[in-house]
Amino acid sequence: MATRYPLYLCLALGSAWLMAPPAFAQADPAAALDQLSDAATGTGSGTALARQQIRSGDLTGAAATLERVLINHPDAGDVLLLHASVLCRLDDAGGARLEIDEVRGRAIPGQAWAEATAACGPIGRPGRGG
Amino acid sequence: MTNRTGARARFLTLAVAVSLAGTAIAAGQPQIVGINAAVLNNVRIRSAGAPQAHIAVVRQRVALNDEVQTGGRSQLQVLLLDKTTFTVGANARLTIDRFVYDPNRSARSLAASVTKGAFRFISGRPDTAGTTNVRTPIASIGIRGTIFEGVVGQDAANIAAGEPGVGPRVRSDPATASLIILRGPGRGTQGRVRPGVIDVTAAGRTVTIDQPLRAVYVPAAGMAPIGPFIISPRGLQQVQALIFPGVAQAMAFLPNDRTGTGFVPADNSARPPRYGYPGYPEPGGDGYPGRGGYPGQGGFPGPGTFPGRGGFPVGDLPSGGDGQMSQDPAGQGKPNQVQPNQGPVGQGQAPAGQAPGGQGPGKKLKGGPNLKSPPALQAQSPTPAPTPTPTPTPKYPGKP
Repeated sequence: MATRYPLYLCLALGSAWLMAPPAFAQADPAAALDQLSDAATGTGSGTALARQQIRSGDLTGAAATLERVLINHPDAGDVLLLHASVLCRLDDAGGARLEIDEVRGRAIPGQAWAEATAACGPIGRPGRGG
Repeated sequence: MTNRTGARARFLTLAVAVSLAGTAIAAGQPQIVGINAAVLNNVRIRSAGAPQAHIAVVRQRVALNDEVQTGGRSQLQVLLLDKTTFTVGANARLTIDRFVYDPNRSARSLAASVTKGAFRFISGRPDTAGTTNVRTPIASIGIRGTIFEGVVGQDAANIAAGEPGVGPRVRSDPATASLIILRGPGRGTQGRVRPGVIDVTAAGRTVTIDQPLRAVYVPAAGMAPIGPFIISPRGLQQVQALIFPGVAQAMAFLPNDRTGTGFVPADNSARPPRYGYPGYPEPGGDGYPGRGGYPGQGGFPGPGTFPGRGGFPVGDLPSGGDGQMSQDPAGQGKPNQVQPNQGPVGQGQAPAGQAPGGQGPGKKLKGGPNLKSPPALQAQSPTPAPTPTPTPTPKYPGKP
């Protein structure tokens, strides 16, 4: 009869494992998200990730990435301009132009304006005469 | 024999206890649904059942039923396991009520509630099947792969009052008024995304939005959605300033400690004209640059303001425009407050007089050439079920 005791124990542990929610069985399901968060701590790494997402067609992911960067770097005009270009690609041209207008007059690298123009059409560069 | 039976009973009891204990431990584990992907200023999280909230930090895990609370000029982005994001602005309350995600089957079921403040929702994996629903105190938003924004509370009432599609005559509950705006993707979207659609339901009526910049407003409990209507550039910019207070402050706005919720227009007198450079079209009739639209409402973000609608408690005009601020001693900023004992409006959810925008003197802008009050287009009666307004004919030419 004593040989059955381990059987009871195994049954008990097995039932506990089966009844456990996924979080019990999976240590940290959110670990993969940390990289996305970390990439947004810098404007360079954040925009690099966003451009990678744009190239792969993940436009909503790119928008979310750039929003994270903007939370950390709210004065990054080039990031806001890139975000505007993503909005254009998402067919939200009206919202994009509001953001373009916000960065008007700021020192923005030419690449960012080129991306915005490619996505939104000719928008003119403030202070550049067109 | 007796000893053997007793031993077996004791061991069986122990086994059952181990089983139950393991189950209890597992059940007690919070279900992780995502992380705090970005945090600005004062953000707190109160776990379900916990008496007090604790300070939120980046990369911190967010569990099911955690209540996220943001303070003034604060912001948070919650990144869920399926890459869905909630970005919430200042003075907001967000809870993930349900989240079931199976990455192997690309299935997700998500329910969240926003009881206060402004937020932006971006769907995660575009190929994910399942139901997604975001609730405000008085409206339910069904989501089909999309980007949309919402404002709940006094700010929603204030912004809606300035919208031609709503008007200042609609009585709103300053605690629960809900403004919902679809941002995309539009039908002309690129990439691996599908055009977004949302269904806004309130008081048993549902309004479907499937084009960017269309909005729906629910003024109070028991009232049907108003809309869809095209959100004005000024209204959209106010929403952006609420969701992104840091950007608003850095780009165009000044902090406003008086209200504690956001922003006041910056003194933009030193800024050059917004549309004074080649290649950037003058604002069209709907106010969006280079587009046509609302007759008589052109000029985003032109001079003037919400004529005759003082009392925007978060700064009236985040765009700043070219207007100048002045105090309105007459306190004209109370067009949207719930009056006591007026039927379904408010329904006791927000005692009259507690509207933050109506306590002190209202504000209004002056100095622009368009100071006369615009016609109250699509003004709704305060009856419980106003007829949804027709959508103004869009004149978006697609890509500019």
